[in-house]
Amino acid sequence: MKYEEKLARLKVNSFSYLRSDWLNQMIEIFSSAQELLKQDAKTISKEGKISLESAESFLKSCSMLDGEKEMEKVEKVGGKVLFNGEEDFPQRLANIKEAPLLIYVRGDLGDSERASVGMVGTRKISPYGRRAASKLAGDLAQSGVVLVSGLARGIDSVVHAEAVKNQRPTWSLIGTGIGRCYPAENRELARAILETGGAIISELPFDAPPLAHHFPRRNRLIAGLSDIVVVVEGEVKSGALITAKIALEQGLDVMAVPGPIDSPTSGGPNKLIKEGAGMALSANDIIDAIPSTKKFGLKVKKLYNESKAPSEPLTEQEQKILDLIGESSKSVDDLALETDLQIAQLSAVLFSLEIAGIIICTDGKYSRSKF
Amino acid sequence: MLCSITSACLKGIEGYIVNVEVDIAAGLPSLTLVGLPDQEVKEAKDRVLAAIRNSGFDSPTKKITINLVPAEIKKSGTHFDLPIALGILGASGQLSNTAQEKLKKFVFIGALGLTGKIHGCAGVLPMLIALSRQGKAQAVIPQDNLQEASYAGIKTFSVKNLKQVVDFLEDKISLEQEEETNSETLNIQEVYTEDFSEVKGQALAKRALEIAAAGGHNVLMMGPPGTGKSMLAKRFATILPPLEKEEMLEILQIYSVCGLLNKRKGNFQRPFRDPHHTISNIALIGGGQNPRPGEVSLAHNGVLFLDEFAEFSRTSLEVLREPLETFKVTIARAKETLTFPAKFTLIAAMNPCPCGYHGHNVKVCNCTPVQISRYKAKISGPLLDRIDLTVNLMPVNFSDWEKKSEGPTSKEIRQRVIAARQIQKERFKNTATTANAFMSVSQIKEFCVLPKDGAQVLELAMKKLGLSARSLDKILKTARTIADLEGSKDIKKEHLMEVLQYRPLDRKGVSDI
Repeated sequence: MKYEEKLARLKVNSFSYLRSDWLNQMIEIFSSAQELLKQDAKTISKEGKISLESAESFLKSCSMLDGEKEMEKVEKVGGKVLFNGEEDFPQRLANIKEAPLLIYVRGDLGDSERASVGMVGTRKISPYGRRAASKLAGDLAQSGVVLVSGLARGIDSVVHAEAVKNQRPTWSLIGTGIGRCYPAENRELARAILETGGAIISELPFDAPPLAHHFPRRNRLIAGLSDIVVVVEGEVKSGALITAKIALEQGLDVMAVPGPIDSPTSGGPNKLIKEGAGMALSANDIIDAIPSTKKFGLKVKKLYNESKAPSEPLTEQEQKILDLIGESSKSVDDLALETDLQIAQLSAVLFSLEIAGIIICTDGKYSRSKF
Repeated sequence: MLCSITSACLKGIEGYIVNVEVDIAAGLPSLTLVGLPDQEVKEAKDRVLAAIRNSGFDSPTKKITINLVPAEIKKSGTHFDLPIALGILGASGQLSNTAQEKLKKFVFIGALGLTGKIHGCAGVLPMLIALSRQGKAQAVIPQDNLQEASYAGIKTFSVKNLKQVVDFLEDKISLEQEEETNSETLNIQEVYTEDFSEVKGQALAKRALEIAAAGGHNVLMMGPPGTGKSMLAKRFATILPPLEKEEMLEILQIYSVCGLLNKRKGNFQRPFRDPHHTISNIALIGGGQNPRPGEVSLAHNGVLFLDEFAEFSRTSLEVLREPLETFKVTIARAKETLTFPAKFTLIAAMNPCPCGYHGHNVKVCNCTPVQISRYKAKISGPLLDRIDLTVNLMPVNFSDWEKKSEGPTSKEIRQRVIAARQIQKERFKNTATTANAFMSVSQIKEFCVLPKDGAQVLELAMKKLGLSARSLDKILKTARTIADLEGSKDIKKEHLMEVLQYRPLDRKGVSDI
C-alpha cells in the first residue's frame, strides 16, 4: 500500500460514527481511500446510501485529521499503525464481519495468531468475581495463553493485572485512542502491560476521547483477537454480554463462569450457561476449548495440585475467622456477633489476615481474596 | 471639663483596656466620636444622649468630644455606651465630687437602651479577664452578663439602668457585690437525654468513637443512610470526659465573644457543634470584617460534627486542614494577626456514594464507578491523613436488629474514657498537651515506643499500604490511646493492628488493582 493511501485511510478512519464495513465498501467502490476523499458529499451520500448530513460530517471529520501528524504522534510513543490488507495486519481481525480498516498498536503484538482468551466482565466487581477472575486469569497466563481484555475497571483490570503479575503478554483493546488512558487510574497498569511485552490496541484515532459509542465497537475487536471469550461476571444487560454475542456471531466458543443465582452480576454468565455456553470452572476447562491447532505448547496445569501450605501457618483464631467468612463477605460487626471476640482482638486478627493477602476488605466487608 | 472612664475592648478573643475620654467645651452643640470607632460604636452617640435624657439628667447642649484611647486600634461593640454616658455626665458637672472620685475606681462595661436600661453585651468575660490581669479590681457590668463575669477573678457589680449606676456612685444605694464563682467547684450539670445503648449493633463504630473520646481523635464514619451515623455522633458527647477548669474558661471566653453565653446558662457540657454543609468558609473557620471565631473555635475543647462530609464545599474542607494540624486558627490581616483556639475532635459522617447505597446489602446503588470514586475523592488525601479513625457502617437488618445486643451504656463507656484520660493527664503533667491526639512530635517519640514485633507490623503495613509519614504518627498516637484504654503501659502489637483496621478509605493498596 502506498504511503499516500495510508494517510488517506487514516483520515477516512477518523469518523467513528460509521461502521468500518461501510468504509471498506466505499473504498472498494471508489477503488482507493484517496479517491473516496476526492468525492463531494452528494456522491458519497448517493453511493453510500447515507444522508447528506452524515456524508458532510464524514468529509469534515476526514479533513480535520492530518495523516502525517497522526503518524508522527504514533511513532513518538513507539507505536505503529497496521493497515488491513497489509501483511502485518492480524489475519484473524481481517476475517471478522466488521473488520477494522486499520489498528493502532502500542507495544508488541507478537504473533497475533497465538492462543488467546478474551476475558470480559462487569466494572462493578463483586468479591467473588474478583477471586474468580484473578484465579482463572492467573492460571491461564501461566499456561502461556495471551489474555485479551479491555482495560476497563473491574474484571478487565484484574485480568490484565494477573498477566502482568505473571510477566506474560496481554492484549488490551481500548475504547479511546492509544494516546489516552481511560480510566485514568489504569495508567500504571497500561504502562506495566507495555513493559511485560503486551500491547494496547485501538482502531480509533490517536487522541480519540472515551465516547460511549466507542466501547461496544471495541468489543468486536476483543472477540476478534480471541480464540475463546470467557464472561466472568456481568449483568444480563451489559457490555460483557454484547462481547459474548459478537463472539458467537464470529463463530467463537463462549464460556461463562457460573455464579450465585441471586447475585445480579452473575446474571449474565448464568444466563449464557443456561443457553448452552461452556462452564469455565477452571483454567483447564478454558484451555480444553481452545482449537486443537493452537493448543500445542500450552502448559496445562494439573488439577488439584495447588493446596500448597501458606508460607506461615494460620493461628487457631485466624483459621476460625477465615472459616466464618467462608465464601461470603462479612463486616466486623457480623463477625463480632458470631464469635465471642472483642472488636479490638477481632481487628487485630483481620489485619494480619489482610496483610497476608488472604482476605480483602471492600467497603467495610471482608471476603477471601483467593479460593 | 474633662472626664476619663476606664472600659475595655476586644481584639479577637483577647481583651484590652480602653480609656474613654470625654471633653465638653463651649461651642455649637455637637458630638464627635474619635479613636477608630466602627459603626456599632458610632451609633452610641444617639443612644447615649437619649438615655441620659430619659434617665432624668440633662444632655448637654455643648460641643462634646469623645476619644477612645488607644486611638489607633479599631473598636467595635455596643459596650462603650455606659462609659460614654458616665463620661458625659461627669464632664458636664452632673456628678458630685464623691461620685467623680468613685468613678475612677471602677471599670464600666454595658450597652444602653434609649430608656436608660442597661443591656448585656458580647465579650464581657475576656474583657474582664484582661482588666483583672492589668490590676483592675472592680467592675460594673450589665446584669445579663453576671454569670460569665463570675469566672473573671474580678469584683463585679451588676446594674440594671443608668439611674441605678449614678445612685450607686453618689452612694445613695449600695449594690450587692456578686459572688465570685470558684470554678474548681463548678456545679457541672450533665444531663443527657440520649444514650449509646440506644444504637443497635454498630459495635465497630462504637469502639472507634470510644477510642476517639479517650484520646481526642478524629473519626470519619461512612455508610448508607439510616445506619446510625448521626445517631452515634449525637451520642458522642455523652461519653466525653468532664470539662477541666482551664478548658471551661477557654470555652467561656470564646462563647462570650460570640455573645452566646446567655443562652447557655449553667450548661457546662463540652461544646457540640454541627454546622450544616452549606456553611461558608468564614463561618466555619472564623474571620469576617471584625474577625469572629468560627464553628471550629466554637467547638474548641469539644466536638465538631460534620454530617454529609462530602457535601461540604471543597474549600470549606480544605480550610479545616490548618486547625486539624495546629489546633488553632490564625487570621492574618494587613494590620493585625489574630489567633483563635480550635482544638476540637472532628466527627465526620458521609455516604459511600452520591445515592448513598453503595455496599448496602439489599438496596441497589445506581452510581457508576466514576461517580463513586469522584465522590470519595472529594475528601482530599491531606485531609484524610488528619483523620485518625475511619469506620464503615453496615445497615442492620431486622433479625439482627432484634437480637443484636445493645452494648454498653454511655455511663460505662464514659468511665473507661475517664480512666484513659486520667493516664494521659499523668503523662502530660506540666505540658500544654491534654490528650494523645494533640501530642507533639517529640512527645510521640517519648511516649509511643514501638514494641519489637510492632515495628515489623508497621513496616509491612507501610510497604503494602503505602502509608505516609504523617499517617504513621497518627497510627502511633491512636495506638497509644488504645493501650491507655486497656490500661497497658506499653503499646503492643495488637494495638497497632487494631488501629490499622480503621483506615478503609485509603485501602487502595490492598483491595483495588
